[in-house]
Amino acid sequence: MSLSQRARDAMGRLVRASGFERFLISASALLLSVLIGAVIVLGAGRMTSCGTAAYTLAFPGSFVTQFTGGDAIFAMGFCYDPIALYDLLFLGALGDILNDPTNGQFATTIAETTILLFTGVAVAVAFRAGIFNIGAQGQLVMGALVTGVVLVSVAPPLSGLGVFAAVVLLPLGLVLGAVAGGVYGAVPGALKAYADANEVITTIMLNFVATSIALFFVSREQFFKDPESFANQTVNLPDAAMFPELVFRARDDVSLLALGFGVAVLVGVWYLLRHTSFGYDLRTSGLQPDAAEYGGVDADRTIVSSMALSGALAGIGGAVYVMMVLGNFQPGVPSYGFDGITVSILAGNNPLGVGFAALLFGILKSGSIVVQVGSDVPPALVGVLRGLIILFVAMPEFFRMAGRKFGSFHQTGEQPVATDGGTGGGVDE
Amino acid sequence: MTQTDTAVQLDAITKRFPGVLANDDVDLAVERGSVHALLGENGAGKTTLMNVLYGLYQPDGGRVVVDGQPREFDSPRDAIDAGVGMIHQHFMLVDTMTVAENIALGNEPRKWGGLAVDSEATRREVVELSERYGFGVDPDQTIADASVGVQQRVEILKALYRGADVLILDEPTAVLTPQEVEDLFEVLDELTDQGKTVIFITHKLGEAMHAADDITVLRDGKNVATVDADDTTREELAELMVGREVMLEVESRATDVGDVVLDVDSLSVLDDREVPAVTDVSFAVREGEVFGIAGVDGNGQAELVEAITGLRDPETGEVAFDGRSVTDDSRRDRIEDGMAYIPEDRQERGLVMDFDLVENAILGSQHSPSFSSRGAIDWQQSREHAESVVDEYDVRPGNPDARAVSLSGGNQQKFIVGREFERDPRLVVATHPTRGVDIGSQEFIHDRLLELRDEGRGILLVSSKLDEVQGLSDRLAVMHDGDLMAVVDPDDVTEEELGLLMAGEYPEGYEPRDERDAVEVPQ
Repeated sequence: MSLSQRARDAMGRLVRASGFERFLISASALLLSVLIGAVIVLGAGRMTSCGTAAYTLAFPGSFVTQFTGGDAIFAMGFCYDPIALYDLLFLGALGDILNDPTNGQFATTIAETTILLFTGVAVAVAFRAGIFNIGAQGQLVMGALVTGVVLVSVAPPLSGLGVFAAVVLLPLGLVLGAVAGGVYGAVPGALKAYADANEVITTIMLNFVATSIALFFVSREQFFKDPESFANQTVNLPDAAMFPELVFRARDDVSLLALGFGVAVLVGVWYLLRHTSFGYDLRTSGLQPDAAEYGGVDADRTIVSSMALSGALAGIGGAVYVMMVLGNFQPGVPSYGFDGITVSILAGNNPLGVGFAALLFGILKSGSIVVQVGSDVPPALVGVLRGLIILFVAMPEFFRMAGRKFGSFHQTGEQPVATDGGTGGGVDE
Repeated sequence: MTQTDTAVQLDAITKRFPGVLANDDVDLAVERGSVHALLGENGAGKTTLMNVLYGLYQPDGGRVVVDGQPREFDSPRDAIDAGVGMIHQHFMLVDTMTVAENIALGNEPRKWGGLAVDSEATRREVVELSERYGFGVDPDQTIADASVGVQQRVEILKALYRGADVLILDEPTAVLTPQEVEDLFEVLDELTDQGKTVIFITHKLGEAMHAADDITVLRDGKNVATVDADDTTREELAELMVGREVMLEVESRATDVGDVVLDVDSLSVLDDREVPAVTDVSFAVREGEVFGIAGVDGNGQAELVEAITGLRDPETGEVAFDGRSVTDDSRRDRIEDGMAYIPEDRQERGLVMDFDLVENAILGSQHSPSFSSRGAIDWQQSREHAESVVDEYDVRPGNPDARAVSLSGGNQQKFIVGREFERDPRLVVATHPTRGVDIGSQEFIHDRLLELRDEGRGILLVSSKLDEVQGLSDRLAVMHDGDLMAVVDPDDVTEEELGLLMAGEYPEGYEPRDERDAVEVPQ
């Protein structure tokens, strides 16, 4: 069997894999990435010099030691201990969770996870509609910007009202984020639907536009720059406009309420896709545009509305970022939007799966900080390990998506082929 | 290489794809120095057979003999080495390179000990080759600037450059203008005069008769006949192509015909290549009658139906449904108005392959009040609907949770037919409703279709199966080259007359009639 045939077969099996098989594939990919990461850690540790080698493998019987009398000069040393490293990476993210369930490290994990829930599900919605929304970052920035600048303008007079102010301001902030992100997502949607502009290109470009717009408004005092601050940022939001931390400590910038809201959004999006007519239209368009057209789905409108929904979800992520983490708006938003793409692929574009994928991401992000603080491993190497894990876990799903999009691996056996004009074959997507 | 009279011989070639028997025990012998046409409708297995010869597919049975020697081609490379070249419908040329560069690509003459391409020698060889066969191409022209006809010649030259003795052309005329078609046929003559052998695939019987020496007709993956082009008639070819499998008993005719439900007025439609596919077609379908459209596939039926059902915008003309113009209405509006549609292409259009049958059961009705309320889909309701369709139309396996892709083609078809028939439609547009369906289910579908008619619904039946359209229709139109040749009474017309009409000719003494007043419908 030729190599290409084998690759084709493997892809076909991947496309047809059941849910349980996919879980097993992901789990073994994770394990494999850790094993390969361990080899890289050992190799990197061998090539560097350090005071105390974590592992020293002397070869007492080897011919080198016979000449040197077993002296340690020629012994093999590995500076970094992969087991300790992975322990810090995964368990460090949880902190001392048994004694202190609300410890700061775990809080960071939860905060990262919360934002990624929104961007992950945003990208997932677009993917399910057959659209590659690379612009979640820009939509997140717009959501954060609008939420920030509007809230700093309207919040101070209301903040005296205590709990009542929070009841008004929190939903208002979320709505502002959703609207801003939604409009900003609908733009590339409309460009795709009515001007045939490739959404990958337009959304990437609009990311830069969003960043520039944000910088413009918060770097000028006549607009929203805080005149007291040297940094480009708005004034701080009053506490009433911030998500309450509930059980966590205030300084940890995390809120169980926001997390709960994020989980509710995931369930809501799942319901929307699975149980509504709009979700049916969206999924049909994503799977088989010709069949959607046959079923009376207006392709153009579905593209615009799914991009608006996707953008709105990313925009809510931006609002939560402002109201939970930042407490004001400042440009230079971390790449939650781009991570959302990986989260979505990791989750197989399933809204409920996004929860787990975002948690894995949150753990890796927060764990990386622990590794950098708790060991002498360089940050670049930690980045490599993170990248390996994500790459390995995401690749099977990525190939599955590619296989569904470009191949026809549904039927068992050989790849079906259109016979002649194509009435008999099974090309379906 | 021994010279024999038979350049290519295929013995009992069988090729299966999942759910499809694309080639069923096909024999083919192609004489050296002849033009051999492979004629058949879409899906007859022509291209598959040629892909087997060209080494793209390995046959499941049978053998390939080239120049008297049995061959096993693992890839096109092997076929080219054995002197077999193929020109596909979609050209594989590099737009930014010149004609000469494209022809020599991958086989360029070298200089400096193989380090550089000898472009002078390339150009010389290409000019020589082009002159030898009278192609008249400019070797320095860029492909992007060349017309489609020239690009096709470049493809042919490319095959010749690589030493092809047998040239396979897949639907070579599909992309050409009429003048370019004439030029192509001259080129083919020149090639065969110089001892090359040409096999060309087509579904246009006029071209086959015009350009070929021998014609092999394929239908449903089988070789139904090989005839001498000089000894056959268009009518015979048309009949061979569409075939008549089981002669249906003449069914009962419409008894109670009501108002016009579908009125098509001077409709003109372009196909995907922006070429007119339907020109100025008018007809009307009334409540309680079956209006049939017969014809060889690819004569504009697909585009006509898409324009009626709202999947394709017509160029000019009107479609009225229930007395109201729906020309500008969306597909969804037409579904909601009661237009059911069994599409020709069940796997691209009729079903979402990744959905299970419960989900597929509401395709087109996802917004209808029967299956949703306030935007939420009632999955229990759609499950019951899927179950009843599966039961009644004998869809196997009888499991509504099965994904559409796991069903065989015939069962997919039965499911679509059931879903569309049970929509409580005002009009059913049925394209090839029994294609790929077993005999028993065919009868069931036919009976159900006539039941719907007797309930007073209008039926537009498009089929290339003559016995089906003739047996079921109350009035029968014959379509050829984008136009309705005639509307006839299916009980009066003879097979010969139908064959001629499908081939685009009027029988002797036959007066073309305007359909609106021509046919008496029993009242």
